[in-house]
Amino acid sequence: MQGVVQKNIGDKLFDLFIYIFMTMVAIVTLYPFLNVLAISFNDSVDTVRGGLTIYPREFTLRNYETIFGFEGLITGFKNTVIRTVAGTAIGVAAASMMAYTLSRPDFQGRRWMSVLFALTMYFSGGLIPGFLLMKYLGLIGTFSVYLVPALLSVWNVFVIRSYIDGLPFALQESAKIDGANDWTIFWKIILPLCQPVLATIALFIAVGHWNSWFDTYLFNNRNPENTTLQYELMKVLLSTQTGSNYRDPNAQQAMAAVSPESIKMAITIVVTVPILLVYPFLQKYFVKGMTLGAVKS
Amino acid sequence: MKPLTEMTPEEGPTLKRNRFWFKAFQQRYLYMMSLPFVIWIFIFSYVPVWGWVTAFQNYKPKDTIFDQKWVGFSNFIELFQDERFYIVLRNTLAMSTMGLLVGFTVPVIFALLLNEMKGQFFKRSVQTISYLPHFVSWVVVSGLVYKMLSTDGGAVNQLLMWLNIIDQPIQFMAKGNLFWGIVTVSDLWKEMGWNSIIFLAAMAGIDPELYEASTVDGAGRFRKMWHITLPGIRTTFMVLFILSIGHLISIGFEKQFLLGNPLVSDYSEVFDLYALKYGIQMSRYSYGTAIGIFNSVVSILLVFIANGIYKRVTKETVI
Amino acid sequence: MKRKMQMALSLMLALTFVFVTACSTSNTDSGNGTTTPETTNAANEPPAEPMTIRFATGNNPNWDDMQSDIGKFIKEKTGITIKPEFPVGGSSDEMLALMVATDEYPDLVVPGSATNKMVDAGALLDLRPLIEEHAPNIKKVYGEYYNRLRWSKDDDAIYTLSLTGVDHTYFDSGSGFQLQHQVLEAAGYPEIKTVKDFEAAIKAYLEKNPTTEDGQPNIGLSLNGGEWQILISVTNPAFYATGAPDDGEFFINQETYDAIMHYQRPEEREYFRWLNHMNDIGLLDPESFIQKYDQYKAKIASGRVLGLIDQSWDYGQAENALKAEGKFGATYARFPVTLNETFQDHSFHGTGYLPALGIAITKDAQDPVRLIKFLDYLASDEGQVLLNWGIEGKHYNVVDGKRVIPADLLELKTNDNNTFVKTTGIGNYNISARYGDGVKDPSGNYYTTTFPEQIQAAYSEEDKKTLAAYGATTYKDLWPSDDAFPERKYGAAWTLPFDSTSEANVIFQKTQDIMKKRIPEAILAKPEDFDKVYDQFLKDLEDAGVAKMNAEFSKMVKDRVELWSK
Repeated sequence: MQGVVQKNIGDKLFDLFIYIFMTMVAIVTLYPFLNVLAISFNDSVDTVRGGLTIYPREFTLRNYETIFGFEGLITGFKNTVIRTVAGTAIGVAAASMMAYTLSRPDFQGRRWMSVLFALTMYFSGGLIPGFLLMKYLGLIGTFSVYLVPALLSVWNVFVIRSYIDGLPFALQESAKIDGANDWTIFWKIILPLCQPVLATIALFIAVGHWNSWFDTYLFNNRNPENTTLQYELMKVLLSTQTGSNYRDPNAQQAMAAVSPESIKMAITIVVTVPILLVYPFLQKYFVKGMTLGAVKS
Repeated sequence: MKPLTEMTPEEGPTLKRNRFWFKAFQQRYLYMMSLPFVIWIFIFSYVPVWGWVTAFQNYKPKDTIFDQKWVGFSNFIELFQDERFYIVLRNTLAMSTMGLLVGFTVPVIFALLLNEMKGQFFKRSVQTISYLPHFVSWVVVSGLVYKMLSTDGGAVNQLLMWLNIIDQPIQFMAKGNLFWGIVTVSDLWKEMGWNSIIFLAAMAGIDPELYEASTVDGAGRFRKMWHITLPGIRTTFMVLFILSIGHLISIGFEKQFLLGNPLVSDYSEVFDLYALKYGIQMSRYSYGTAIGIFNSVVSILLVFIANGIYKRVTKETVI
Repeated sequence: MKRKMQMALSLMLALTFVFVTACSTSNTDSGNGTTTPETTNAANEPPAEPMTIRFATGNNPNWDDMQSDIGKFIKEKTGITIKPEFPVGGSSDEMLALMVATDEYPDLVVPGSATNKMVDAGALLDLRPLIEEHAPNIKKVYGEYYNRLRWSKDDDAIYTLSLTGVDHTYFDSGSGFQLQHQVLEAAGYPEIKTVKDFEAAIKAYLEKNPTTEDGQPNIGLSLNGGEWQILISVTNPAFYATGAPDDGEFFINQETYDAIMHYQRPEEREYFRWLNHMNDIGLLDPESFIQKYDQYKAKIASGRVLGLIDQSWDYGQAENALKAEGKFGATYARFPVTLNETFQDHSFHGTGYLPALGIAITKDAQDPVRLIKFLDYLASDEGQVLLNWGIEGKHYNVVDGKRVIPADLLELKTNDNNTFVKTTGIGNYNISARYGDGVKDPSGNYYTTTFPEQIQAAYSEEDKKTLAAYGATTYKDLWPSDDAFPERKYGAAWTLPFDSTSEANVIFQKTQDIMKKRIPEAILAKPEDFDKVYDQFLKDLEDAGVAKMNAEFSKMVKDRVELWSK
């Protein structure tokens, strides 16, 4: 009896500890975001004085007005949404298929394909060969350049495979005995069981697509119809700063006109909030988890 | 099918070949699901590797690859003769190793604790909040770190002074020996929540029957964490860990660059920044490529050594 | 649950294919749409025919997409629509390298530091014959400096039209050493000529006022040395204070044109020794080398920093915050301060016309003749007034023969310059030869909108009070006059870039890394260790091959002198 009571006290203390610890984590990690939020709503001249914490000192909406006045924002937003949705769908489908084949211990291609894929994580041909490749494939200036080269992330393949490896193999075997083919096993058994990891991978891919701007810069900088939100905003963030010679009187004017801090923070908020809104829909798959038993029965 | 021992010498190879094709046919769905991606990765990852020959040339973009001047290994020799190269290599490995150790253990512990929480709302809120800093750029985060550690009213110095631990503010950012630690902690602050997501997903995939069974056996909370949850995420953990070992040398330069300053430059400059500064930024494509090749070779060696050790110990492999 | 997930996945897959096909078809469409008019225009059609030109240039967040008043006017007048390609991400070199590698160029480029490479690749047209035949205005603007556009000793071609204003006059000085007006007032406006004067003024004020009115500690002198501005705030002042002009990181002997890295001058060692001394006596902000730019600005904006050594454009934002709060006493006056009386500040040591960043026509241009005519129009009197002042009756009025900007536009210009630029287009189309500030057109008005009266009008009451105390009308009056020194025959050496792939360029990069480490170390060292650190600094430079680099640079300077004196 005494033992049970002690255990309960220990359990309760541990719960208390977790809650205190988690509250601290929440405070510490919420701070930078609130700071950015506060600065984004603060008057840009006043921001230079520094010392802003989690609330604006001189509230204004002008920073946001400025941002929403940019050309190309609507087109950029549309393209970013399309590439994020399409790119995530393709990315998850591709990575899960590849991961499944590599997880099959009896698959002939397993070993050499694993090595073939794994190696690519650690080298690249470099900027110029990559660019020339895109040129020969006719991808420059197209929307497909956002989707085709980013079709598959090898990292994700290995993450999903490790998850599949953790699933009981008996499920597949019994399905096989029931006469299911490999595609059916993948589609009917593996995918439903992989929900948590697929949700996670979907999040990674979506955030990657949402945040990327460098491919727009490289391949679509002369095609405003294919611009992306991040690229439009990046143009403001990275205006002039380096590259131009500060000794050149022309450049000095441009440097003095560099975008104020508050505008940069407002941009951070504008690009972050939409992806945060999607989060809860994915979160439920990996925070609560799903019951394996339910699938089995 | 005939057992192997019954094969005649002439029959052997044909049968083997037939069996290979037979099995390949059996696995046709698996091939259909993977071969398109094999072709894809060949085109997009392996074809551009022709660019590596430029490391042995004095590459100028105006000419094609065949009209360049060949210089043998001189780019590599220059790289290995540069003192700066060894300093940046040391800094890179120091920071990436610290980052690897801290950046894996803490998110796992965090995920473990999160998994132990009972209140769904609080749990989800904390989880959501904890990954927010991932979206805040390094420019902002480094600015906050500088302000907190400032001697001019920085929060950390004021706290330490108030606690009477020190009586003079410490110039944290001026001390080279603290720099690696500051980078590691800042990185943890920014990425802990984000990095824990994948472990949470792995925990979500653990068969609940295992927990039920051990409850019946009278196992306590910690025993369940130790014997079920942690082993449950082991595969995922090991895969991520070993793949990350391959990236020990290429950790980007953004955070080190933004957190650095002239006084700690001997501790802050990393390999990728060196490659950028002395390669592409100076239009020395060949030198940049040579650095890239060095980087790839080291990475691949590291990852295969790590995988080899893992294989020897556990008889499993991640690649 | 199972069914839901499957539904979702098949939906995702279906969507994917829809997107992929949709995108690929829409792309071919739009591709055709944009290329057709361009190709037809290549034929010899009358100039008013619409033509779209591609233009690769540095990033401009205020670009108006030809929708501004001036943009529409230009489009109507010349039929030309400019479609800029803004490289983002710091340096445009990458983009230009890709252009060279793929051998595909837009019509116009501003190649900047990649000019060498593009000329090498034969990507740029020689503009000389085009100018001679079609562009009298461009030739007129460059005037006697026309030959400074020549490429090199062996190549007579003109590849770029420099965008720097010709015959530019500086009406004010943004450089020097800065002191708060309140510091000067408290000391009774003493003479501020040497670093000792500067030091004494700060010291006296700090002793009387260790804190501000709201109790925060005052800071004697803060340097913006934590980021790249270490060049502006720490090392460039070393040559200004020791009687040398800004020639990049080099000191050029004006007789022999031999170059040495400027840190190698014994005079500059003494300048850094003074900074070391400032640190030793506690007047230098200990965070000078470990602060981020926004921390630096925040300190200035709090009004606590008594002295600065910086450029006005670098601390301008912080000063604006002070002005917005009405703390004019904490804003700054600027002085030409030198190490001792024997030196004079060479900030305005004449250079003649300095061709820097320029615009070029590429070999892929559809219609070079039409392009040069277009640029020539922009360089004409009419064009320059249009680009700088705008459209008469809309952006300026002529009152008693003088151009005047209406009050509402002037207010927009000062308070919301971004909107001003975007709606009017003023400042967005300066892509051809033009005159600098202080040059008057045939009507007797200035070409540009910056002139002396305006600068004085922009001074605050505090500025005026301080200037009156020193008997000056602008800060520039405190500096030696423009013709105090004989003109440098090579212009300014910072316009001479090393060939990017040369060994000298690698050495240069190394010396910069060494400097960024050793200079702060020397300044923060104990005074008795200063020489030890500085000697080590010089030795590091030697080891990196500074002698070789100096020799290479000397040769470049001499070549320039020869080229320009022809």
